[in-house]
Amino acid sequence: MRTGTRFTGTLQHFLLTLKLNFRSVQALVYGYLVPVFFLLAFGGVFRSEIPPLLFHMGQLLTISILGGACFGLPTALVAEREQGVWRRHRLLPVRTWKLVAGTLLARLVIVGSAVVMQLLLARLVYHTPLPQFPGEVLLAFLAVGYSFLGLGLLIAALANDVPAVQALGQCLFLPMIMIGGVGVPLAALPGWAQRIAGYMPGRYAVDVLQRCFTDPQGLWGAGFSFAALAVIGSAAGFAGLKLFRWDTGRRLSRSSLSGVAIALLAWIAVGAAAEATGRLDPVRPEAVEYESISTQQIDQITYDGLPGDNELVSRLAPPFKYNDPPESVRDFARKLKTWPKIQTAEPGQVVRVLLSVAAVADIGADLREAEIGRLIFDELQSRYGRDELSHLLAWVILRPNDGTVITRVPELRLRRELAEPVVRERSVFYAKKYLGRLLGKIPD
Amino acid sequence: MAAPEILDLLVQVRILVGQPFDAKSHMPTAVPVSISVNGLAKRYGAVQALQDVSFELLPGQIFGLLGQNGAGKTTTIECLLGLRQPDTGIVAILGVNVRNEPIRAREHVGAQLQFAALQDKITPAEALQFCASFYAKPANTASLLAQFDLTAKARAPFSSLSSGQKQRLFLALALVNNPEILVLDEPTAGLDPLSRRELHQIIAGLSATGKTVLLSTHNLEEAGSLCDQIGILHEGRIIANASPAALIARSSANPRVSFHTALPLDPPRVATLPGVLNHSPQGNSWVVGTNDVNQTISALVRELAAADNELLDLHIQRPTLEDVFIELTGKTWRKIETEETP
Repeated sequence: MRTGTRFTGTLQHFLLTLKLNFRSVQALVYGYLVPVFFLLAFGGVFRSEIPPLLFHMGQLLTISILGGACFGLPTALVAEREQGVWRRHRLLPVRTWKLVAGTLLARLVIVGSAVVMQLLLARLVYHTPLPQFPGEVLLAFLAVGYSFLGLGLLIAALANDVPAVQALGQCLFLPMIMIGGVGVPLAALPGWAQRIAGYMPGRYAVDVLQRCFTDPQGLWGAGFSFAALAVIGSAAGFAGLKLFRWDTGRRLSRSSLSGVAIALLAWIAVGAAAEATGRLDPVRPEAVEYESISTQQIDQITYDGLPGDNELVSRLAPPFKYNDPPESVRDFARKLKTWPKIQTAEPGQVVRVLLSVAAVADIGADLREAEIGRLIFDELQSRYGRDELSHLLAWVILRPNDGTVITRVPELRLRRELAEPVVRERSVFYAKKYLGRLLGKIPD
Repeated sequence: MAAPEILDLLVQVRILVGQPFDAKSHMPTAVPVSISVNGLAKRYGAVQALQDVSFELLPGQIFGLLGQNGAGKTTTIECLLGLRQPDTGIVAILGVNVRNEPIRAREHVGAQLQFAALQDKITPAEALQFCASFYAKPANTASLLAQFDLTAKARAPFSSLSSGQKQRLFLALALVNNPEILVLDEPTAGLDPLSRRELHQIIAGLSATGKTVLLSTHNLEEAGSLCDQIGILHEGRIIANASPAALIARSSANPRVSFHTALPLDPPRVATLPGVLNHSPQGNSWVVGTNDVNQTISALVRELAAADNELLDLHIQRPTLEDVFIELTGKTWRKIETEETP
């Protein structure tokens, strides 16, 4: 009976915390309006990418969870402690940790709702695709939430007042945003910053969340990042719970420093483990990756077994003569020139997307499939010089699973949805046909 | 083992089995004890906040823990509620050792703390329902709202309530578990005289229903009028523990007669009035200490009639709790109530 009653009480506390959060204008502004501002800020910067924002959703969601867990949670807890709310709670016949757990759970729900709102708004405003693996997004969110809420609890335990929460929160937030791979993409950071980021949870949070959007394998292979988040979150949460103060009058003792030491040690341990397992080697952006492909690698690419240009698979029309293409193909060419998804400065991604178009037309058996294949080749040659295009095509051939491909192109009247692996495979065929012609290994 | 240690052990054993004891004789008492505090001590750094604090409360009793700010009242209450761990000593509530079973002890107690609050946006109805959800047999929250005149404010945010309404709500929250024991830390602090009187009536009513009330206060009048028993706490020690009447009766302070006359009086004549021990004139106003109020007043009236003088005003001041406090501590009682809201 008693256990049941206390569970009811704890549940009531969880529901009440949620309810009161939605009555606070300040909580609504910080919990929902600020994430919208971040979404618009990211959208302003990355809207021209293809697909817009998709490669930065991990960063965006990490910022939202970080803000809710490391600012929202401790601010609410410390403000209530300063008011004397937790002093009143202590009179209840329930262990304090149960009430703290209810508060953490409520915060997880609040942050989760902000994340869902961001996903839907990104879809609505920027047409950002929804995550490929919704179930895995939930799993990644829980892992990131667990880790950051642990940190938030520790901040609440250490901070004597709300201004101290802001100060401590910024000490975590700003480094993670600037050099932790959260605000600035990891690949854009110098090597030393990338190494430091390996000691911070933000990098691992972005990793697990981003995988759900762009990694064809989803969370498969993200074990280390999950472990890192679990270790950092558990250490901070344990210290936070041990040092939890329900009364403003209670000051931290010197022994409480051991709790902080435990939390810091977890960061160091994670960074050291990442270092020891070679996970902190510098991450290079795609642009740099295709440039790094050597001439020798390009020369080693073989063209044996490629389907013929007039066969069913990967058809390719001969070069156009003056006024040669029919009107429907010329119309396609005009639309392709102004198609937003190739208006980006990222050559690696542009090439993959253009190859996808040729592949989608071919697999979908479009009546213009061979001409579209030729149009794409012409478009690529008009955009890039021979040497750069050779590297770009070689990168697609050698790393077929990198980057993002398009599986349908309704804007260009290629509406049929196709399976991604098939599109990737067909993209490689076209890449080889184009590269072979560029290098004179295939007659055109 | 030395004899005092054996006695302490016996006391502890009796507390653990719920058997009451006599704090002085260490012998079992006949009636059940609601709260027993024995040998409580607590130190904060260099400050000894409590030292050997012992007292007992019987069912239905209103016990006032009287002391100035910093005397140790709140620390005593926090130790009693299991919110703070004493360095030494034992607290038992209905036989439940608070240190060992704080959650079980709290089930029997309703408490109102001096420095506590609720969330700004919570309503009285929500606060009562929330607290009630932790108990197996809670009180009816609607009845509590009605009892404490909060029905009209049931859905108002806590931050919009007046000081008196907030205090009434905390008292309602303290009763949400139908407790046998009520612990109230400075329940009337910050209240206007009307609200204070209302609260006194409520507390007296609760005591009449058999609930044991322990309240801390620095208000002498409140302690004197409301409490059956007063423990005077000074610098962390209980320096007196008795009923208000018994405390005053024990006082060696003399009554004072203050009066005002139409014409001046000759000081030597006043000094020689029967029973007068001391006197202090201020114009035509006098305060005289006497060991025989009747004789002094009779002689004064005769003296005034003979001198064709007129008695305009006269008051008799019997010894008060303040006199008791001054006698016990050698210090005057600071009027802290001036800090409170008028």
